[in-house]
This record gives sequence, structure tokens and C-alpha cells, in this order.
Amino acid sequence: MGSTQTNVDLASPTNISQRRMLVSLTPQAAEALEITLDNLAVAFSGQTVLVLTPDQLPSLSQDSPLRFLPYTSAATSTVAWVHTAADYLNIYKLLQEHQAAACLMLGGESHTLPTEALKALAKATTNSDLAVARYNLGSREGLVNSAILYPITRALFAARPRFPLAIDIGVSPRMAERLAAEALRLTSANQNEALIWPVAAAATANYSITEIDAGDRILPAPAGHDLNALLAQIAGSLFQDVDAKATYWQRARSLPSGRFALPPNSQIESPSDITPMLDAFQLAYTNLHEIWSLVLPPNSLLGLKRLSALPTASFRMPDSLWARIIYDFILAYRLRTINRGHLLGALTPLYLAWVASHLLLIGNGTPPEKHIEELAAVFETEKPYLVSRWRWPDRFNP
Amino acid sequence: MWQQVELALSQSAHRVLFKLASFLPALLALFLAVLILTLAGVALSALLRRVLNFIKFDERITRNQGSNVSDWTPSHSPTVLLARTAFWSCVVLGFFIGVSAFDAAYPGDPQISLVVLPYLTHSVGAIILLIAGTVVARFLARSVLIGAVNAKLQYARFLSLGVKWLVLVLTAAMVLDHLQIGGTVVELAFGILFGGIVLTLALAVGLGSRDIVSRSLERNSDLIPDPLAGSPEYKTTPVAETLRHF
Repeated sequence: MGSTQTNVDLASPTNISQRRMLVSLTPQAAEALEITLDNLAVAFSGQTVLVLTPDQLPSLSQDSPLRFLPYTSAATSTVAWVHTAADYLNIYKLLQEHQAAACLMLGGESHTLPTEALKALAKATTNSDLAVARYNLGSREGLVNSAILYPITRALFAARPRFPLAIDIGVSPRMAERLAAEALRLTSANQNEALIWPVAAAATANYSITEIDAGDRILPAPAGHDLNALLAQIAGSLFQDVDAKATYWQRARSLPSGRFALPPNSQIESPSDITPMLDAFQLAYTNLHEIWSLVLPPNSLLGLKRLSALPTASFRMPDSLWARIIYDFILAYRLRTINRGHLLGALTPLYLAWVASHLLLIGNGTPPEKHIEELAAVFETEKPYLVSRWRWPDRFNP
Repeated sequence: MWQQVELALSQSAHRVLFKLASFLPALLALFLAVLILTLAGVALSALLRRVLNFIKFDERITRNQGSNVSDWTPSHSPTVLLARTAFWSCVVLGFFIGVSAFDAAYPGDPQISLVVLPYLTHSVGAIILLIAGTVVARFLARSVLIGAVNAKLQYARFLSLGVKWLVLVLTAAMVLDHLQIGGTVVELAFGILFGGIVLTLALAVGLGSRDIVSRSLERNSDLIPDPLAGSPEYKTTPVAETLRHF
């Protein structure tokens, strides 16, 4: 059975006034912190909210519902834009220490998170173990999430949240405990900055997941701007998680019902210049073919060959090809067919080809969200391919 | 005279047969030592593999190290590497014992082990050097190739091949030097080849990077305030598109 999933109706009355909530904030500028605290005060008026922030504390009015907790950041993290293993471990300790009913972990730029989203996150924790925010992003934002993270999480863990590597989440105490247990495994191996995948963790524990609509929000930017390093870090962490939870996802699971309606195309964006991405792909095709042939079966290589011969205007990577490429890379990551750093490096040009294809498609009028949903559905359809190759990797695969 | 020829022939045949008779047990001892130690190696390797699998050695190593041993030989886990090392150590030990046994059993030349054993040690060292050099060359070549392709360098393959051959030439020179083959000829040839490859790479990268350097310089000069910048028809800089991958 997959995890249950519900969408929160903001209009219904909330039932959280009696619960003591813990809110964790990431380091931010003084002005941003003030806005965040104001939003929290509005969202949780009439309640007591324990706020954890490593920043210098501003003075609060007498009637403010916020109470600050003394908190020293465990270590200076270089991965400030997502929650790390050390963060989850700290939160669980504090949650236990202060006997809070639930915890909201807000990521960077949390001052741009609407008050309604804060309320919805808090409300969602009353009846589910994990509340995950869903954001309205532009068609050119969160592309790694759309191309890899969301389709894999949906197909393998039968979980619908659109942002599996959530920036803002709400967790129940038992979910926090579960995440802390995963985090402890990593921190004890001195991997304090390793990423944790809460949606996958909740799905494997059969905990309930709720997705709330957070509306427009500025997502924090990663510290480094090197796509190769970031993609390797994120994809590597996800592939490792998929490997660790193989016994769970190999069983057939049905996707829970309930979904947000596709957002309307609010703004028409100018067509993107995909030439640099296609150049990167063409260059990689002529140079990395030998490495790809170690990872990909002949059918996928043939697909890439056809792709490399397409003119720019009609460049289109079939969704099934992309799904199989990702699945083959997951398998090669597990089998260590080649060095893992090399493997993830060889994925970057293929990802850029997908981005080019996606941008071209939405430039031709296809709604981006429609394409991403179709892609996720193809990942689900192709899941038996991964299961089969996972179980019998040496079997002939054309 | 015929009798003398016959005597000489019978004596030489006797000597050869005697030598063969004393050589065969020594050879048999050598083969037996190698065979027994190889079998012991197989057993030890299997035992080691079972024990390491039982204590989940691979997982522990992966957990305790950011970049683990298997990064260098990705298709082999640390357990397999250790098991194979144990096996080949036994085989090499078998050779050493075999040569000593050969020396003891063969009365012809008591000094044979004094000559063969050091050379055998050098040969083992040379084989290890060769394997390590090949692994490192392949690893570095792939790292450079992928890094250069992702940096969009047109001469990525050439750069990768250059690095690979640099390491292979260095390895070959070290192996020959270790085996004491070639003497100064190897050193001289290595110097010429290594220098040649470095010079070729420097020229290729330098010539290939002209565009990158000039673009970089142009970009820097764009940062300097331009007196003509106020003119509306002077320059229409396209706004950089924002793609957010994360």
C-alpha cells in the first residue's frame, strides 16, 4: 500500500490552536528575518510557536506568539539551500526536548512564503506525517526537479508531491524520528551535508503525505553555480536513496489519487535559446559515446544517434528514451559500471538535451506542466524495465 | 677411436640424463609449491570473501569514506579487491617457495635462487606498477574527457588522449626501469616522449583556447565603463536568459 495523500483545503477551519509548533529557519538577512517572523506571527496568532533561528534575534512585542529558542548552528553548512542530514538530526532532538506537536522546516528565502502557505503546512501536520509544499514556478525553473526528481519519486515511490526535495516541510514527531534515523546513519559516517529524501522516507514507512499549495515563492539559489557539481550531488544522492530502498519500490504500487489542477499558463515567456545546450549535447555525443555505451543499451544509443542528427527546430527527446536513460544510469550507479563521479558527469549533457527538448516543446505551445505530467506517466510505464534490469542486470538487453 | 667416441657419447648421455633426473624433482617441487599455494589462495580468497560479506565490509567502507577504493576500480567492490589480492599474494608466495625448493632440490647451481628471487620480486613490482598505471591512466583520461566535454572544450578527446598517454608512457618507463631493461635508453626515450606529449598538449590547448581567452578578455573589457555607452544606438546587449536548474 502506498502512502496516503491529501490536498489541504485552506478554506476549512484549522484545528491547530492547541498544539505547540516548532518552526526552524535557515540563516537569512535581518530584513528577511523580520518579514518571516511577521508572517509567522500572523499565521500562528493566538498560539505559542517556538522559533529556531541561528540569526541574531530581533525584539518582539509582548503579545507576539513567537518564542525564540537558543540555537547554535551545528556546523557551517555549504549546502544552505536544502535541508541536510545534520538539520534533520538537530530538529528531531529539539522536537523531543520541547515536546512540540510538529515542526515546520522552512528553507532559505522563507520571507517570500505566503502566510496562507504557513497556515496550510501547519494544518497539514495535524492529520498527516509529512506536509510538503508545492510552488508555482516559471517554466524555466526547477528543471532538475521536473526532469529527474519528480518523475522518479512518483514512479518508484508512488508519491505525488511535485517537489520531492522540499524546501519547506512540516513533519510529525514520528516522521521527524524516521528522518533523524536516516540522518544519523549519514552523520555517523561524517556525511553531515548529505541530503535526505523525506517523501521517499515517508512512502517507505507507509506514513501519510500531504501536499499543500504554497503559491509563488522565491526558491533559494544553491551556493555554487556549477551545474555539473550540483547535478552530480543531487542525482547521486537520489540514486543512492533509490538503491537503499530497492526492496520497497520493486513491488508494484498504485499512485494515490488527488492532484492539484494544472496551473494555467499565466505568462507567455519568450522562446529560449537552446543552441548552447544542443551544442553541449552534440559535443558530448561525439566524445562520450564510448562512456555512454558502457551504461546504455544499444536501443538507447540508437535513440541518441537519431537525436544527434535532428535539426534544431525539430529537436525532441522522446519521454520514453529519457526515462530509460535515467533508469539505466540508476542501474549503472548501483552496479558501479563506471566510476560514480564519471557516471554522473556523463549525465549532464543528456540532461541538457532533455532541457532543450522541453523548452522547445513549451515554446511550441505545450503547457510545461502537461509535459512534465506526461513524462512522469512515462516513467511509471517504464518502471518494469528498471525492475527487470535491476533483478537481472546481466540478461541481454537490446 | 670408435670406442672413444662411444665412451664420450655414453658419458655425455649419462651426464645429461643425470642432470635431467636431478632437474625433474626440482621442477616438480616448483610446480607443486605453486599448485599448493594457488589452491590455498583460492581457499583463502573464498573464506575472506565470505567473512567480509558477512560483516558487510563494503557497506562499512562506503560509509566511512567519501571517495572509496572502488572509485578507482569501479566494477570491483573492496571485498573482491581484497580477495583477489589475497589470492595473488598466495600465488606469488608459491613462486618464491617453488624457486627456493627448486634451488634446494637442484644440485647443479646452488646460486640460482640468489639470481631468480630478486628478479621475481622486481617482476611482481613491475606487474603491480603496470596495473596501477593502467588503472590511473584510464581514470584520469575519463575524468579529463568528461570534465572537458562539460566545459564545452572542442578538443576534449585530444586532451583526454594526451593525459592517458602521458600516464602510460610514465608507467612504461617506470616498469622498464624497475626491470632494469634498457638502461639509459629508456630514460632518454621517456624524456623525449614525455616532453613531446606535454609540448603537443600545451600547443593544442593554447591554440584551441584562443577563442575562450579572447572572449574572456572581451568580457572583462566590457566591464570597463565605456564613454560611448550612453549612445542609444551604440550597443544592444541581449538580456541573458535565466534558466534555473534547481
